[in-house]
Amino acid sequence: MATTTLEPRAGSYHRSWVLDWLTTVDHKKIGILYIVNSFLFFFAAGFLALLIRSELAVPGMQFLDQNTYNQAFTMHGTIMIFLFVVPVLAGFGNYIVPLQLGAPDMAFPRINALSFWLLPLGGLLIFSGYLFGGAAAEGWTGYAPLTSDRFAPGVGTDLWIIGLALVGTASIMGAINFIATIFKMRAPGMTLMRMPIFVWTILVTATLILLATPVLTAGLIALFIDRNYGGSFFDPAVGGNPILWQHIFWFFGHPEVYIVILPAMGVVSEILPVFSRKPLFGYKAFVFATVAIGLLSFSVWAHHMFTTGAVFLPFFSFMTALIAIPTGIKMFNWLGTLWRGKLILATPMLFSLGFLSMFLIGGISGVMLASPPIDFHVQDTYFVVAHLHYVFFGGSVFGVFAAAYYWFPKMTGRKLNEPLGKIHFWIHFIGFNLAFFPMHQLGLSGMPRRIGDYSPDAGWTILNMVSTVGAFMIAVSIIPFLINVVATLINGEPAGDNPWEGNTLEWATTSPPPPHNFDRLPPIHSERPLFFLTQGHGHAVERPEDLVEEEIVDEKPGDIERRPKDLV
Amino acid sequence: MQPTAPRNRLRKMLRVGIPVLLTVLLAGCLLPPDPKTEAGRDVFNLYLVVLALAAIVFIGVEGFILYAVFRYRRKPGDDVLPEQLHGNNKVEVVWTLIPTVIVLVLFVVSIMTLNEVEARSENPGVTIEVQGFQWSWNFVYEDGPTIGPRGNEPPELAVPVGEPVRLILTSDNVIHAFYVPQFLLKRDMVPVNENGTPNDIEFVVSEAGTYAGQCAEFCGTDHAGMVFTVNAMPRADYDAYIAAIEDGETPPTGGGDCETTIDISANNTRFDIDEFEVPADTAFCIAFENLEDVPHNVAILSGSEALFEGSFLNEAGSIIYEVPALPAGDYTFVCQAHIQAMAGTVTVTE
Amino acid sequence: MSARTMQAHPSGEHEAAAAVAHGQSGMPMALVGMLLFIASEVMFFGGLFATYFNARAGFAGTWGPPEGGHIDLPLAAVLTAILVASSFTMQFGVWAIRRGDTGKLKLWTGITLGLGILFLAGQLYDYTELGFGLSDGVFSTVFYTLTGFHGAHVFGGAIGLTVVLARALRGQFSRQNHVAVEAVSMYWHFVDVVWIALFLIIYFLR
Ligand code: HEA
Ligand code: HEA
Ligand code: CUA
Ligand SMILES: [Cu+2]
Repeated sequence: MATTTLEPRAGSYHRSWVLDWLTTVDHKKIGILYIVNSFLFFFAAGFLALLIRSELAVPGMQFLDQNTYNQAFTMHGTIMIFLFVVPVLAGFGNYIVPLQLGAPDMAFPRINALSFWLLPLGGLLIFSGYLFGGAAAEGWTGYAPLTSDRFAPGVGTDLWIIGLALVGTASIMGAINFIATIFKMRAPGMTLMRMPIFVWTILVTATLILLATPVLTAGLIALFIDRNYGGSFFDPAVGGNPILWQHIFWFFGHPEVYIVILPAMGVVSEILPVFSRKPLFGYKAFVFATVAIGLLSFSVWAHHMFTTGAVFLPFFSFMTALIAIPTGIKMFNWLGTLWRGKLILATPMLFSLGFLSMFLIGGISGVMLASPPIDFHVQDTYFVVAHLHYVFFGGSVFGVFAAAYYWFPKMTGRKLNEPLGKIHFWIHFIGFNLAFFPMHQLGLSGMPRRIGDYSPDAGWTILNMVSTVGAFMIAVSIIPFLINVVATLINGEPAGDNPWEGNTLEWATTSPPPPHNFDRLPPIHSERPLFFLTQGHGHAVERPEDLVEEEIVDEKPGDIERRPKDLV
Repeated sequence: MQPTAPRNRLRKMLRVGIPVLLTVLLAGCLLPPDPKTEAGRDVFNLYLVVLALAAIVFIGVEGFILYAVFRYRRKPGDDVLPEQLHGNNKVEVVWTLIPTVIVLVLFVVSIMTLNEVEARSENPGVTIEVQGFQWSWNFVYEDGPTIGPRGNEPPELAVPVGEPVRLILTSDNVIHAFYVPQFLLKRDMVPVNENGTPNDIEFVVSEAGTYAGQCAEFCGTDHAGMVFTVNAMPRADYDAYIAAIEDGETPPTGGGDCETTIDISANNTRFDIDEFEVPADTAFCIAFENLEDVPHNVAILSGSEALFEGSFLNEAGSIIYEVPALPAGDYTFVCQAHIQAMAGTVTVTE
Repeated sequence: MSARTMQAHPSGEHEAAAAVAHGQSGMPMALVGMLLFIASEVMFFGGLFATYFNARAGFAGTWGPPEGGHIDLPLAAVLTAILVASSFTMQFGVWAIRRGDTGKLKLWTGITLGLGILFLAGQLYDYTELGFGLSDGVFSTVFYTLTGFHGAHVFGGAIGLTVVLARALRGQFSRQNHVAVEAVSMYWHFVDVVWIALFLIIYFLR
């Protein structure tokens, strides 16, 4: 059962700062731990990406041998997905969801802490393969029977299995926590249809985690049994079926990709309205589209298996293409939000617009992949690598940076420097496209993925070189970001409670919020409870709900500024 | 509002941007290689349709984002809130329908092409078992030889052009994938237990030549080195090739090792090109493809003297001519059955 | 469902926080958590069952234990009866504490725990008698994996029951305050249902 010890009061000052962070059960501190931890893993996996790109810049093997190359992309993919994007978004969720709901904490604070601490443990286990004769090297998808003890005898693969199982367990616990929090801890007046879209996306994400991850756990256990106890699930030599692994993996793996994109979509849906100074266009359509994507995501997994000859192509092709519809609805509603707005191009907004335009490319290439004859040509080529980075990086990671710039003031009380932010954005954006756009053409001309070397006659050299340059540009763009974070923490511009004039509840408390989050809550009559507190003096009013809000505006906490501001 | 300035900027951008984008697309960017099989041609055409749909969506959405950024940017000091518009149901319906229609079109054309790619003939001219192993290939001919890797040379798969070739794809270790980019086709080679059937594929190569192939499913340490070549040749050459191997000779090389290969095809009693250029004093190849059931050949003439006479293709098919070295100068190339209608110039440069 | 008073939300020194921790009605938080956990467990076993069906569908030859081994239907039937019975005794315990009858709670929980241990002992005995091991082919692998993971869950449930029993003996439960009993009983029923499915699939769907 969950009872919270809120922050230690006076009298416990002797507790050291470190111990405080190590033992905290405050969702805000846990959220920050998640985010910092995830970024450390991002740098590690990004470092591996730079190794990969350096090796591929020109034909021949220069830095790595085949084996270390294979380990590099396996670790890169695994860490980026399981220890960067998923947890970093869970971190923002941890920090923001209770605030946006007007709740004092998550439903199960101790489980929350536990599910965080399993992450670095799992991540280090996965990495520790490097210390014991080589990390796993079978790709993040770990296809059987390459992962069997016959073909991958090293302990690295076992560590990979155990690490993933731990990380999976952690995310299941996190998901339970999110769902319980969202269903049980909403402030009075916060009906489901008044929840911020970010909360909605976290709710659907958590549900996907809850239902998809255990299946992966079952598969990992089966794989472990095969490797270590002579089981015969996946190895055809002893009667097993390697395709079974692919079904299990992708039954999890496809929902997984929406697990990493939905919260990023939520972030963007928070930011676009605030920086367009309009409400989100089509809130209800958004909610339905999010739920529809969640449901559909369980019926498309075999689009990763078109070339196996073992799946019914028309069905999976059709279901996959269908996902474009709810996603399209979202895209168009975002555009509707921009339409006739007054756009303020601050850094969070830039990253959100970057999300829209880059995710679009990844989405379109996804729909192209959903056509089996086209997939027969480009499956397992760089076209897929391009697709997955446009959605992961152009989508989720742009969303992560948007969230970082947007909520940094709330978390620290200081606003990141805008010029540095813009420098970061532009280098990042250009580098990203240089790195990944050429990969479409590489794939179309037949360059397979997961190769450390290619023939100089193949005509792939120039595009690979361009891509490598782009990758290093991305790495360079991280420098202004890091400088910005450090400089702001030391001596940044104080942000005030609501620097962006946001309309959701996290902006109704101080920056950073007190341990118990809120002293008082404003009344909640719409999905923008703060709208009339910040903006509502004498402007056009559309909906009756908003009018109601105006009438009770005196109840507001006195610390919210009313003046119109230049935000940039 | 004072929309003129941004609007102009925008117009200028669109005026410059869209042609640039289209040129880039049309200049052959974002295209698969020229397909060398019949079904590959269908996939290529499908790809063009899908790319066009993709371009429409891309330009529409991306264009709107750019438009919005320029048109709706807030001016400094402008504190008036824009109209607080919460949504519009009619619009929602419209933009649900648009992607629905696109998706349905895409699905239908995809499945039509899929049926072409997956078609199997009753009795393929040639059936070859392709065995993948870590990390190379064996090509096992029905009632014929087995060709595997030879030293550092990648193994070569010989197939006849113009008739269905069926490949049975097997592996008894890990999963590999048979992939020839110029066929626009790949298929996994899944090891199966006693109860399973291996995958197969079938294709008709439409043009003689050598094509690079590579394993496309990650299969362990030297996955990158798991390459092969396909050598497609006319039926007669193919039979000779197989016979030679059965006699223990190393396979004769096809036209694949020419420095220069010129592609010429004939259709409607016309060549598809009317001039080409080759270096002086070097042998070269002509990959000739006859697209109709009318006899054609290629011959190179100096005045009326024939320097080279290629053998006739009496019906649709293809062949690789090996042309001896020529001194620098200008010559004509013709089809000797239709000298008037089918002629062009050959420039042999120093 | 039950006892509204069992809400688990932060309360504490901060009146403000308390003022914000508001109107939670309906199911106690711990039960919500348990239900969600069970949902994830359903998917876990779903994955394992899927491997079973996949293995069976792709199997050449007759499906069943390898040469020289057998599976013991009568024993399994007895085990099934034991586990089903334990679900009833668990529920009697829950009903007892809902009435406030702590004595009966102790009794029924004790019996349930006993039945659970009996089940585990029976299963271990079964394993020693079967005559085949986990690495003896596809059937053996899925058989041991499925029953083994189920057994592990029974073991987990038994630990939960032990905790409930210990707390009951210390008098920590009352009519208003017994959310842990409800949670453990939910879990126990779930484990029971999984076994019934396993039993039907392994022993009858051949
Ligand atoms: C965040 C992660 C993410 C997301 C969101 C997606 C989204 C989609 N993905 Fe992607 N995918 C991956 C991550 C992701 N994918 C990864 C990691 C792999 C490779 C795994 C591996 O093998 O390592 C992969 C691989 C992959 C494949 C298999 C390729 C192969 O291996 O052969 C396919 C095939 O169908 C596919 C399809 C799609 C589709 C249709 C969508 C759709 O959801 C996209 C929908 C969005 C849009 C379409 C844009 C907006 C819509 C409009 C503007 C409306 C109008 C548009 C149209 C009508 C086209 N993906
Ligand atoms: C969220 C997911 C995510 C993200 C963000 C990225 C980011 C990047 N990825 Fe990758 N990638 C995957 C997920 C992701 N990737 C997956 C799933 C695969 C498939 C794996 C598989 O096949 O199994 C893959 C595969 C993959 C490949 C194909 C490998 C192959 O098939 O052979 C390549 C090749 O270029 C690549 C490149 C990159 C690059 C250059 C970046 C860059 O954008 C990275 C930018 C970040 C940095 C550059 C970090 C900056 C930090 C520093 C500079 C500090 C350095 C650190 C220290 C000194 C301590 N990735
Ligand atoms: Cu064989 Cu890759
Ligand atoms: Cu997918």
